[in-house]
Amino acid sequence: MPSFISNFKQRLRLPRMFFRKPTREEQIHGGPPLEFERPIPPAPWRGIAVVITIVVIVATTLWELYARSLGYAPTLNDNEDLWTKARRKVQPESIVIIGDSRAWFDVDLDEFQKGLGKRPIQLAMAGSTVYPALADLADDKNFHGTIICSFVPMLFFAPPGSPPMERAEKGLKRSHNQTPAQLISEELGIRLEEHVAFLKPDDLSLEGLLNQLPIPNRPGARVPPRFPPYFETEDRERRARMWEKCAEPGSELAKRIQQIWIPLFTPPPPPSYIPQDIFMAKIGEGIQKRFADVTGAVEKIRARGGKIVFVRFPNSGGLKELEDKIMPRQKSWDPLLQMTHAPGIYYSDYPELSGFDCPEWSHLTAGDSVEFSKRLVPHLQKALGMLAAP
Amino acid sequence: MLFNSLTFVVFYVVVVALYWSITGWNARKNLLVAASYIFYGAWNPPFAALLFSTTAMDFWLGRQIGKAKDPRARKRWLVASVCMNLSMLGFFKYGNFLLQNFQWLVARVGIIYQPPHLDILLPVGISFYTFHSLSYTLDIYRGVLQPTRSLRDFVLAVSFFPQLVAGPIVRAGDFLPQLLHPPRLKTNQFFWGLALMTLGLFEKIVLADTLLSGSADRVFSYAGPLVALDSWAGVLAFAGQIFFDFAGYSICAIGAALTLGFHLKDNFRFPYAAIGFSDFWRRWHISLSTFLRDYLYIPLGGNQVAPFRMALNLVIVMFLGGLWHGAAWTFVVWGLLHGSYLVIERVIRIFFENKPWAGSPFTRVASGFATYGAVCIAWVFFRASDFTVASRMLSGMFGGHPSGDMILTTRELLQIGIVTAALIGMHWTMREESFETTVMRLPAWAITAIGSVMAFAIIFTQGTSNAFIYFQF
Repeated sequence: MPSFISNFKQRLRLPRMFFRKPTREEQIHGGPPLEFERPIPPAPWRGIAVVITIVVIVATTLWELYARSLGYAPTLNDNEDLWTKARRKVQPESIVIIGDSRAWFDVDLDEFQKGLGKRPIQLAMAGSTVYPALADLADDKNFHGTIICSFVPMLFFAPPGSPPMERAEKGLKRSHNQTPAQLISEELGIRLEEHVAFLKPDDLSLEGLLNQLPIPNRPGARVPPRFPPYFETEDRERRARMWEKCAEPGSELAKRIQQIWIPLFTPPPPPSYIPQDIFMAKIGEGIQKRFADVTGAVEKIRARGGKIVFVRFPNSGGLKELEDKIMPRQKSWDPLLQMTHAPGIYYSDYPELSGFDCPEWSHLTAGDSVEFSKRLVPHLQKALGMLAAP
Repeated sequence: MLFNSLTFVVFYVVVVALYWSITGWNARKNLLVAASYIFYGAWNPPFAALLFSTTAMDFWLGRQIGKAKDPRARKRWLVASVCMNLSMLGFFKYGNFLLQNFQWLVARVGIIYQPPHLDILLPVGISFYTFHSLSYTLDIYRGVLQPTRSLRDFVLAVSFFPQLVAGPIVRAGDFLPQLLHPPRLKTNQFFWGLALMTLGLFEKIVLADTLLSGSADRVFSYAGPLVALDSWAGVLAFAGQIFFDFAGYSICAIGAALTLGFHLKDNFRFPYAAIGFSDFWRRWHISLSTFLRDYLYIPLGGNQVAPFRMALNLVIVMFLGGLWHGAAWTFVVWGLLHGSYLVIERVIRIFFENKPWAGSPFTRVASGFATYGAVCIAWVFFRASDFTVASRMLSGMFGGHPSGDMILTTRELLQIGIVTAALIGMHWTMREESFETTVMRLPAWAITAIGSVMAFAIIFTQGTSNAFIYFQF
């Protein structure tokens, strides 16, 4: 009569390992461990290491000097870890700035602190859509502070999966899941970036330089538009200031960036694999959903006693024309304020906010951002109920 | 902690400096245990406790297997170890996958079941350290390893930080003997280790992340049909990315271990110059393929059984190998494809191995390129997020979308072409020898020049600490 084990084995066809001793071949697999030693190629390794170290130090120094000769100076690079650091500073009653690069460049924290009584926390992120950060604050049950929310229609309505949405979500995800290792790397990175000028991923990295190669693309290729080169400095509070080289009137850099904004802000052609009418209908649905989601988030914040004000920051030149044409105020700004019942400040409604020129059409210079912030403060005070209406 | 992060640079310098300045061997081993747990806990501290608990359990179970005289008792303890390890892996890695498939299955018979989504965070590197630990009890059971008396040594064998989270899969039997006697600091070994770390970081930061990953990501995430050129370019970019990413990690791990006086075996040996799929698996992720061979394929009967059973064994092993990589059917298909490739190769060998032209240079090169092509086709399933993406990609690759979209820039196409040609060229040049032999033939000035370019390129590239692909497995 077969044993229970052999029956079991036959039925389930379990690996034989469970039932027999390993063969001699298996036993000596890989050779006796103690005899295993990696070969070390014979070479004067100490001398090689010394020479490599010297060469790398010299090359890095030369690269740093070259970067500085081009006008680059040490500054922080914006990334999700720096954003996370700012997000963690948010207290229940904080004033928080969220949105895109216009709120990032155009707001002076000192002026806002003077006028609003608290130092705001800068959470606006270049090239991102605002909804993930707004929803995160709405879901933060402790938060009942004040939100100053920038509005740039092309970014505000960016659909899920688009680069502005991915960028915003990346920062948010990091703020929820940052590991101790990432935190330490960020602290170390800050200290490096504050002293080294060539740490500019957009311009002076291998990828940045490869991106600048003037190689024409295939006709009809749907390649992503280029992003602007480095043109801002940033401090530990995430206060961005336009680089002087870009702020100079008629600068080559500003002109180059102007020509980058146009394709970047022009809606891409509908995908070839979705009929145009269906695609346009989906875009319309997406916009309505964004209105509804934002309204829901605003209501949540308001229900806890929080406040929100939307701000349309200045733009100019060809970019202003393009934005006004693609997403006119009547179809974007006005419905937003109607649905959310939130106050809004549209810069062109006020002469004192309208006279600013954006050198590269999208952002204010560092100097103008201070003046603009000073002039914006009374409007914010009014919108937030800090002043009695005249 | 990632090798390509500033945190690791500081951590590594401190650990190496302390390690070589301490004289006591036990103190050094204690330092390595502490460092390894800090390295692992830097991701998620609670998971370090999980790592320790599975390690401690296997240590105890290993002793029970070693002590037991009765073969049935030994078997029971081994089964307990296998079940403990695999259930841990199953829960964390396959929990949601199993629930989803159960939901699908019961829906076939008309039962609507909505399983709760388990919010399970996958402990990084769990597939690797489970296998490190499992190899210990398996080898004790097989009689090829004696249980160690030192829990600390076993903890270090499982958690040794260079290989902890993404391999190579180092068997306890290969590592524990190295803990018997303290290694001496050998200058050439130390600097060779640093050279390997530089090469590994260069592969990861410069080649994988900067030159290839962006194009691969865009192609595989594009929702529409692509022309053949862009489809192939995306697949070739991924084939290069995954090699440089994973081989780069392995080389870093081997180099870091060497600087601490430990020897880890090769994990890659120029796989894209493989001639045939058996050859490929002798060159790709060697520590996994030998693990599967020794603990699964051979116990199943290996090639000492009837041809049909042998074919079935190959498919079973590759099926499980695919599943090991991830909880998705796309990984299973990737594994099954490789299983089928291995079976087809055996059949071809039966018919053509003795033909006079079988060993000619032309046949070898043609077979090598056919192998590479088939491996790339399998990569489609490995990288695609689902079967819709995979089938769209395959259709594009074989001319199914002549009027599809072109989404890669000319610069990206050139990058992929140049890097892929260089990668395959290097692999074919070095396929018959070890990397060390190639380096040995180079004059010192050439090693210095190449090392300088790589080290400067790492700094110049300004990598963004992207995680290694294999961390998710």
